[in-house]
Amino acid sequence: MTAEEAIDRINELLDSTDPDTVNTSMRIPKALREAAALAVSELGVAPSATVLAANALRMLLEGTVVLAALDLHFEKYPEARPSLADLAIALAEIEGSPLAQQPDLLLRSAAEIKRRHPHAEPQDVLVWAEAREYTAQEQKRTQAGQKGAA
Amino acid sequence: MNRLVLLDNEAVQALRDPAHRKHHHVIGYVLEAAKLRARSRAIRIAVPAAVRVEAGWDRTAPAWSSVNRFRIVDIPLDTEHANVAAGIAKRTGVSVADAHLGAAIRAAETDYVLVLTSDPDDMRLVAEGKRVDVVAL
Repeated sequence: MTAEEAIDRINELLDSTDPDTVNTSMRIPKALREAAALAVSELGVAPSATVLAANALRMLLEGTVVLAALDLHFEKYPEARPSLADLAIALAEIEGSPLAQQPDLLLRSAAEIKRRHPHAEPQDVLVWAEAREYTAQEQKRTQAGQKGAA
Repeated sequence: MNRLVLLDNEAVQALRDPAHRKHHHVIGYVLEAAKLRARSRAIRIAVPAAVRVEAGWDRTAPAWSSVNRFRIVDIPLDTEHANVAAGIAKRTGVSVADAHLGAAIRAAETDYVLVLTSDPDDMRLVAEGKRVDVVAL
């Protein structure tokens, strides 16, 4: 089975509306099972531990199968890979962050953080940009306060 | 927070064609959404059926197999959406695809809707007052 075939089959299975369930012999740590049971009974995070586990597994699979498809895509088209700045802007937009309105700041921040941390993630760029923005505003406030005192 | 990212025709074209000048830009949204999804965050990327028709996106055609793997879900043009879209088209004069986008925006039960589009003004127009964020391609 090729990676493409595996991805297509996983997607097909994830989209299946087949209501059949199956008892699995999957072994999970006892403590994890107890934690899940407590989260259900005491915190109400899901109707049952089974639903909790199935939902978590579904979301993980739905995300990772797309990431696997993107890896194949970037192998074939390396130039299609977005830059760190592209990803930071996309993340800011998706998160509804006000930083999305400052693409130049995110571009600068991505370039700066990449120089210091070559493996930085888009989330790191947002934190970096937020810190820079905060520092700049604090400096302005301080300068305005000093002018006022003078 | 529950998030929905919608694609217009231009976004679909950009996604399909690696040589498109905005391809890497749209791919960035697919990548970040997938990372969030894998961390159990409630986020979906979707395409209204009428947009898919306009874009020529046939899920059975081999030419679209790569895009199919990105798990972009369909928003069907069902009775309710067709009624809302018909009203939007009549009031605003936009295309059927844009009217369906408007219906999808208005029907979204998510906390946050983001549209990737080549025409931000039309998207705000078809939203008819419903809060929507727009990314201009």
